[in-house]
Amino acid sequence: MTRWERSVPVYGVPVLTRGFWALLVVIAIGMMLTAVREVVGLGGVMSGMSDPYAWGLWKTFNVMVLTGLGSGGFAVGIAAWVFNRTKLHQVMRVALLTSCLAYWTGLAMLGVDVGRPWNFYWVVMPWHWNLHSPLLEIAVCMSLYASVPLFLENLPPLFEYIIYEFPKWRGIAEFCEKAMAKVFPFIIGLAYILPIMHQSSLGALMLLGGDRVHPLWQTPFLPLIYVWAAAFLGYNCTAICLLQAKITWKRDIDMDVMAELNKITVWVIYAWTAFRFADILVRGKILLALIPSYYSGLFWTEIILIAGSAYVLNSEKGKNLRTMFLAHVLCAVGGMIYRFSPTTLAFHARDGAFYFPSAVEFLVCIGFISIAVLAYIVAVKKLAILPGSNADWLKMARYEEQVKPGIQLTGYAPVEH
Amino acid sequence: MAMTRREAFKNLAKGSLPLLAAGCVSTALPEVAHAEEVPLPKGALGLLYDATKCVGCKSCMVACNQANDLKPDTRTDGLHQAPPALNYFTKNIVKLYRTADGSDHSYVKQQCMHCADPSCVSACMFEGLRKDKETGIVWWLGSKCVGCRYCEIACPFHIPAFTWDGFNPKITKCELCRERLGKGLQPGCTTVCPTQAVIYGRREDLLMEAKRRIAVSPGRYFENRVYGETEGGSTQVLYLSRVAFDKLGLPTLGDESLPERLKYQHKLYKWLALPVALYAGMVMFAGKNFKEHAHHLVEDQKKTGLRPQL
Repeated sequence: MTRWERSVPVYGVPVLTRGFWALLVVIAIGMMLTAVREVVGLGGVMSGMSDPYAWGLWKTFNVMVLTGLGSGGFAVGIAAWVFNRTKLHQVMRVALLTSCLAYWTGLAMLGVDVGRPWNFYWVVMPWHWNLHSPLLEIAVCMSLYASVPLFLENLPPLFEYIIYEFPKWRGIAEFCEKAMAKVFPFIIGLAYILPIMHQSSLGALMLLGGDRVHPLWQTPFLPLIYVWAAAFLGYNCTAICLLQAKITWKRDIDMDVMAELNKITVWVIYAWTAFRFADILVRGKILLALIPSYYSGLFWTEIILIAGSAYVLNSEKGKNLRTMFLAHVLCAVGGMIYRFSPTTLAFHARDGAFYFPSAVEFLVCIGFISIAVLAYIVAVKKLAILPGSNADWLKMARYEEQVKPGIQLTGYAPVEH
Repeated sequence: MAMTRREAFKNLAKGSLPLLAAGCVSTALPEVAHAEEVPLPKGALGLLYDATKCVGCKSCMVACNQANDLKPDTRTDGLHQAPPALNYFTKNIVKLYRTADGSDHSYVKQQCMHCADPSCVSACMFEGLRKDKETGIVWWLGSKCVGCRYCEIACPFHIPAFTWDGFNPKITKCELCRERLGKGLQPGCTTVCPTQAVIYGRREDLLMEAKRRIAVSPGRYFENRVYGETEGGSTQVLYLSRVAFDKLGLPTLGDESLPERLKYQHKLYKWLALPVALYAGMVMFAGKNFKEHAHHLVEDQKKTGLRPQL
């Protein structure tokens, strides 16, 4: 039985694997098509978008779904720092890294999707803001979150890397580390309030969609249900990354921490499901879910994937790592479908109109996702991200000291805070 | 030290109290408060389109393109200006509604409705779409538009059209020929209509005229009412029709405008009070827990000799 005590890099494995090059090729294709899109526009073969379906995959999936999946930074963070679930501190770095990558690639994708990105500079001039626009709230909060608190939260592993690998810069890195520790609570407060605001506003966006969003999804509480879904998606994503590390790099799993993570996930999901049903019942739309149709099918697919997985996760079987992994994946798929529905799957623009993403949209979408995946894989191999035990660290230190003589990874005197 | 369950619940309760309170207030409101009436500008201008008078000649479409310096969209057959829907060449379109057996038909003209409380203006981040304070005309300002296309998602009438080709896209929509109005001219479409099916004027006058027509020939018009008087929080373009409005593609909307649906959001964000309160609460708890955590880190370092990790 392992206990996670500190983050340890994935050591002794090559960075430049076949998968690395494959991802690089996918990224290159995506970037080339992005360049073409910037010149020729969004019409024709470039996208399946049209005036009735003005939002395609790039916004609805890369931003609205994947930033939901990348909400671990705030969802795990609130549990760990605000509600003092101390066990979760060990998985914070994974959560923060996934968040950071999801948000940055999502924002980059937004820049590709919008038609006149050169006008975005108005965002720094509050007197030009339209405070009635949910999208303005997102534009401001999301870029602020990704560039300030989320960025700062992801710095400690980088500082450590500098301290160990570049002794020359050690003084500066340690100074930065200390400075950050001083203001850390203020940073993380910001890192929780901003996502709560913009993740709910992502739901508020579709309030203006009116009747085009199916009544099972369109509700005054859409913002709340949307941010709530982001919360459990964040837990799912963090758990998936941790279990994937076990599968790919044979990292040990701390069952106590996983049990804590699963417990929170399960109860967040149960409450979410109950709230969603209550909302539909109160609005008197429950019959729409019971009469067989495309929409009721979609609705039950979401519910069964999300709540069903939570049930399995909560049962005895959920303690089996394989089942746990599968349950988190299916739950994440369900949550992602939910986040995808109001804008796309349950969005009926008008009769006769139809949207299906073009090949270019898919390739660019996958290209940007690959950037995040590649960056994640390189980061966990170079930086102390994935949790491990002190023993793991010592093993790693012995290995590194052989490879790189002169590096000091152990034997540090206590620092007074 | 780990928190007990009781403490955790207490914290949860404290932290979410303002949120809960705000939630209760905002959910209790819809029963009490009616849709806030959004007043139309004093000099609100508009169009009145009477579908019973329209002969479907489409000369208003040609006039619109001339008045707005737009190329005619002949992409359908390479000869006629016959676009299938509003698009970035077309700010105004006349469509035909016909039942499958041909027993009933009507033309319908489609262009921006110039809503009293426009959804597109609410949606737009930097007021790239804006409503003129005097005339109520909703118009597009390219230097403020990011090209996000949220206006297209938000408009219940499917009016704004995006330039899908090229690197410098624009939003194309009827602006009631506001530049021509400044020169003392009328909107392009109203200057050429052979049957006066579409007329231009101040909205009050147009509404009066529409009601006069209904009074003169009761039963001629669908439900004896004017579309746009109250629909979606009222619009400056008004419609009269013999055929049911929804068959002509005019959506069935309540009296409440879509932006009204954001009012709870606005309440939650008022003065940023709630976010700031939540922020303060979270910083407080995080600060306390951070101190504990830092203490543990130092203890661990003493034991293991490994650098503490934040």
